[in-house]
Amino acid sequence: MKKTRNDQFFSNLEKFVNKVYPNQPQRQPYLNLKSWPTPRDEAWKFSRLGKLARKNILPLNLENQQNFNINKLIKDSISLVFVNGKFEKKLSDKLLSKIVIEEVQIEDFKEIINKFDNLSVKNHPTLNSTLSCSQKFFKIKFKHDSKFYKPIEIFNLGGTENTSIHPFIFIDLGKNTDVKVFQHYSTYAELLAPFEIINLSENSNLEIIKIYDDKINSHNLSLTLSVIKGEANLRSFALIKGGEFTRSEMHTLLEGENSKADINGIYLSSGNQHHDLTSCVYHNVPNCKSSQIVKGVLGEKSTAVFQGKVRVEKLAQKTEAKQMSRAIMLSDKAVSNSKPELEIYADDVICGHGATVGELDEDQIFYLSSRGISKQKAKVILIDAFLNEMISLSISDKFHNIIYNETKTKINKLLANEHE
Amino acid sequence: MPILEIKNAELSIDNKKILKRLSLNVNEGETHAIMGPNGSGKSTLSYMLAGRDGYELDNGSITFDNIDLTQLSPDERSNLGLFLAFQYPVELPGVSSTNFLREIFNSRKKHLGEIELSHLDFIKHLRKVAENLSIKDEMLKRYVNFGFSGGEKKRFEILQMALLNPKISVLDETDSGLDVDALKIVSEGVNNLKNKNNAVVVITHYQRLLDYIKPDIVHIMSDGKIIKSGDADLALYVEKNGYSEILNEKN
Repeated sequence: MKKTRNDQFFSNLEKFVNKVYPNQPQRQPYLNLKSWPTPRDEAWKFSRLGKLARKNILPLNLENQQNFNINKLIKDSISLVFVNGKFEKKLSDKLLSKIVIEEVQIEDFKEIINKFDNLSVKNHPTLNSTLSCSQKFFKIKFKHDSKFYKPIEIFNLGGTENTSIHPFIFIDLGKNTDVKVFQHYSTYAELLAPFEIINLSENSNLEIIKIYDDKINSHNLSLTLSVIKGEANLRSFALIKGGEFTRSEMHTLLEGENSKADINGIYLSSGNQHHDLTSCVYHNVPNCKSSQIVKGVLGEKSTAVFQGKVRVEKLAQKTEAKQMSRAIMLSDKAVSNSKPELEIYADDVICGHGATVGELDEDQIFYLSSRGISKQKAKVILIDAFLNEMISLSISDKFHNIIYNETKTKINKLLANEHE
Repeated sequence: MPILEIKNAELSIDNKKILKRLSLNVNEGETHAIMGPNGSGKSTLSYMLAGRDGYELDNGSITFDNIDLTQLSPDERSNLGLFLAFQYPVELPGVSSTNFLREIFNSRKKHLGEIELSHLDFIKHLRKVAENLSIKDEMLKRYVNFGFSGGEKKRFEILQMALLNPKISVLDETDSGLDVDALKIVSEGVNNLKNKNNAVVVITHYQRLLDYIKPDIVHIMSDGKIIKSGDADLALYVEKNGYSEILNEKN
């Protein structure tokens, strides 16, 4: 028999917060959300949470007992490790003097959240649950006028079946800084609700690469709110390959002139996985550029969604915004949804969008085979080419091979299971 | 020694018969030309030889070096030493030309039981071969056929042929889209590769290419079969009088 939705998680959350944080009224407002979004909510139409809504998930409050192997992608990076949503100093590397990690309160970043209040993140399950129950709110501050050569690698680990974990990180770049961040999501959590805030001060540059590789039963509802000041540049790239359900949702506010945001991504979906890249870019001032470019490869019965929205305010003349999604289907049971939206109130802008979905090109496969390359190998070459173009476009050259290698195992798996 | 023997090949696409009991024998050291009007089945013949999906024989046989080709996939045929220069080479955006050439070169070497070349040695070898075909380094840095001009695409086909050193090469309308200079370069490339142990089959509309690549035998193809064969003079005859006379003569 089909179990009915009971949205048990939200009453569990309320009990938890009232028990663990009885004297923290600032958490209370975020308990007003009592149920998961339904397909009737436009923003969740293609990404259904029915399965989560039927589960009895409890917020996880365990101190970490485990030892974790931290597998860094970059040898000389600085690792920051979060287990069960809590920062683990012992497992993390020592920070450089110009990077400060500090505990903050909701009041300290409330102003940033309020900027998005009217912009569709109100009553978001990740924002609400994580602000109400995350044990600590961490801010990583990069001091002004510094170029940080060593990338930061943030690891989200831990989690168990039927529990949720709620990491909160506020990445704050001072003026004239240059920072590279890798974010790893590799948990066993039934529900991972990472809430991140990014603040880019004037003339700062952040390249952030998010690798979603949670274990196969996990639901990851990642939410990132970014505010970008003048002459600043956000380069965000999401690689989604893990979990049962992964949504990478980014809201990006360009509020300083001549700023730029690239919110790109790749999803590689197999089995019954559901992957979702949702991005909204708000152009509030003139002369800014943005791109939302997403590519995906889907096999078996997987489903994927690209929702890209660009909103250009009346003031934001000379905006350049680009949107594109392309999906390759390796199975006729896989489903890809694409929902591009342009909401433009200014008249002097360049905005473009497009979407394609298709199989690998038979002519290309035949051409390669006729040169002695096996059909299977030809497919690998063509998918590699498809992804390499995207990786080159989206991230620094020096990280290209690292990210390419991160796609490799999954691609091989997708091709091995192609006819299932 | 025959390299290729096609016997009574019959092939249909969408239930329409395209090849009708076509037979052709090509021996080592020979150059054949297949000419014919549009729609006579020339390109179908080339796809059938290369083993494209959907171009399987209904009846008849193809043997290559005494091996039954009909059961082999395109890559297996290529590794045996069969090469098709495409009429419309396919663009592969995102696939680097150099990597692609190295991949196919080493794959062929492996099948010949020869030693694969290191990256550096391959690049040296490639430069030399490319230079003979007036292919610049810059072109090799681009994606395969991507944004190439018509002439560049055809030269790139011959470059692949030179690297693979096939036993038999089928050149499908390699002259189309080439100016006289490019035609000379491409033909010279083909002639340089020709020796007494391999063979070339040139499929063409026009006699023009045959001024540069001299055929031993010319076949006229019409309505899915070869209706007349002869020496190089047959091509000149067609050039002068058109196909109609030969076609009428047949009827």
